[in-house]
Amino acid sequence: MNIVATAELKSVEPAIREVIYRACLLLDDEKFLDWLNLCAPDFKYRITTYSPEIRRQMTWYEQDVPGLKVMIELLPKHNTDHGRLTRHATVYTIDVDPSQNEASTTTSFACYRTMLDGINSHIDSGETQLFLIGKYYDRFRIGKEGPRFLERNVFLDTRRLDKGSHYPI
Amino acid sequence: MTAQRDEVAYDSGETIPYVDSRIYSDQGIFEEELEKIWKKVWLVTVHESELPDPLDFRTLTVAREPVVIVRGSDGKIRAFLNVCPHRGNLILRQPSGSLTVAEPSGNANHMTCMFHAWQFDSFGRCVDIPRAKAGYQDRLKKEDVALKQFPCEVAHGGFVWLSLDRDAQPLADYIGHAFDIMQQELDTEPLAIFHYHKAIIPSNYKLWHDTNSEFYHDYMHYFNRATSMLQKGYFERQYTAFPNGHCTVGSMEVKYDAYQGAADRVLSFPGMPRNGWKMVDLFPGATYNIRGSSLRVDTMTPIGPDRVMIEFRGLGLKRDTPDEQAQRVRDHNTIWGPFGRNLHEDLLGITGQGVSMRPGSTPRHILHGRRENNSIHDEIGMRHFYTEWARRMGRSPSDPFASALVAAE
Repeated sequence: MNIVATAELKSVEPAIREVIYRACLLLDDEKFLDWLNLCAPDFKYRITTYSPEIRRQMTWYEQDVPGLKVMIELLPKHNTDHGRLTRHATVYTIDVDPSQNEASTTTSFACYRTMLDGINSHIDSGETQLFLIGKYYDRFRIGKEGPRFLERNVFLDTRRLDKGSHYPI
Repeated sequence: MTAQRDEVAYDSGETIPYVDSRIYSDQGIFEEELEKIWKKVWLVTVHESELPDPLDFRTLTVAREPVVIVRGSDGKIRAFLNVCPHRGNLILRQPSGSLTVAEPSGNANHMTCMFHAWQFDSFGRCVDIPRAKAGYQDRLKKEDVALKQFPCEVAHGGFVWLSLDRDAQPLADYIGHAFDIMQQELDTEPLAIFHYHKAIIPSNYKLWHDTNSEFYHDYMHYFNRATSMLQKGYFERQYTAFPNGHCTVGSMEVKYDAYQGAADRVLSFPGMPRNGWKMVDLFPGATYNIRGSSLRVDTMTPIGPDRVMIEFRGLGLKRDTPDEQAQRVRDHNTIWGPFGRNLHEDLLGITGQGVSMRPGSTPRHILHGRRENNSIHDEIGMRHFYTEWARRMGRSPSDPFASALVAAE
């Protein structure tokens, strides 16, 4: 049974778009726990890519909400590259499924890293480099409180990430 | 000869052994390493599961030489110089693929140079030269322009090993007993790859091998401090050195659940305790690393004295169900992969070393002096590596230019 009428579901498209962009801003600001507040309790997060080298789909990261919370809370205990990641996203498609109170979206994004301590801070800090590009394939559950992330597949086109990252993308 | 041997013996046991940082930054030493080491030894490359079918191929670069590895129509894997003997163009340009797919310039089942459509079969034989008779009359025959073939074997967990040196000693002699510690895990049943990624780091290749050859740097990893260093058995892990610069690290029982959110492993390899952890470090730049449910294999391609490409592969058992493979992938990604907790930290470590050892920077002493009865924080792994490096280079790692002078006299 639909929680929200079909007409209202169609009208949630702007809200879905705003949630995607708001998520980008929260991730940019490293407010990771606030980002998780945009997610349903059963949210699943994955970073995936396809390797033409080994001709296989690969999962490079996979967590649920408790796992993401632990990862976020433990970040201060890890040595890491503190360069700030900035996402530039464009929502391409929003497909609402009224029968399931769900929506699926495709968002193209580029993620830049503004360097701080990753290499030689005296020389490199302040320089912005393209870190990776890809697409967010998101699924949303639409409830009375609005759309909530149910699933995010960060599909990467960039496969050479060099020293990588500890942060969600 | 005696004088030269004395010059290269840097691990006397009496003082603090060190290496001169110029071995990590000097262009001349780097070029010499390519000739005296990388073009001479056996190197582990791709895994056989990356070429599952006849006519599958993988391309790579070894000591600047383009190489193609092909599974022949007879099922056997061979390695060739991936360069057309006509005008020196690359033949196969993609990282992988199947020769069953026809190229715009050539026929299916052949390796075709797109430039002038010379074609080679999966045995490296030249099978077609367009308008050969008109252009070469009888002065050049196809039999004279086969692709250069390199010694190549599939071994030690189904990996493809090759040497650019046609006169290389047999692989079995080069490896010796270095894989004894991991033989059951690697060779009881077929393995299959589930992970591949690469990193290019502004640092010297040996610095990555150093990291893989010492565990004192576990202080850098919160994950390893919690799950290993604070656990029983950690300081009993032993290094064992083998001829030709290889060494191994014995196992312990890792307590994965000591890291919040991590769990004990439920899958393993034949003969491997579920939470065990073993390593084999291979001269000059590869490491097999089994942590319970996943095997990680690092291979390196030195690009310059201050630039290295590292390829990371993750493997499980070929017979794994999709659910089992997914579990191995999750275990692998907890610490490894580009978003893992440990790998990022390791790569930051050698990046920082690369900053301080740029070409032209002030020479420094890099200490290799921890001695703890070959146990886990002993730096015997590095010292053993550089003893072999010295033997092959004819230089002392602690005084590399003085040794070269002695050798030249």
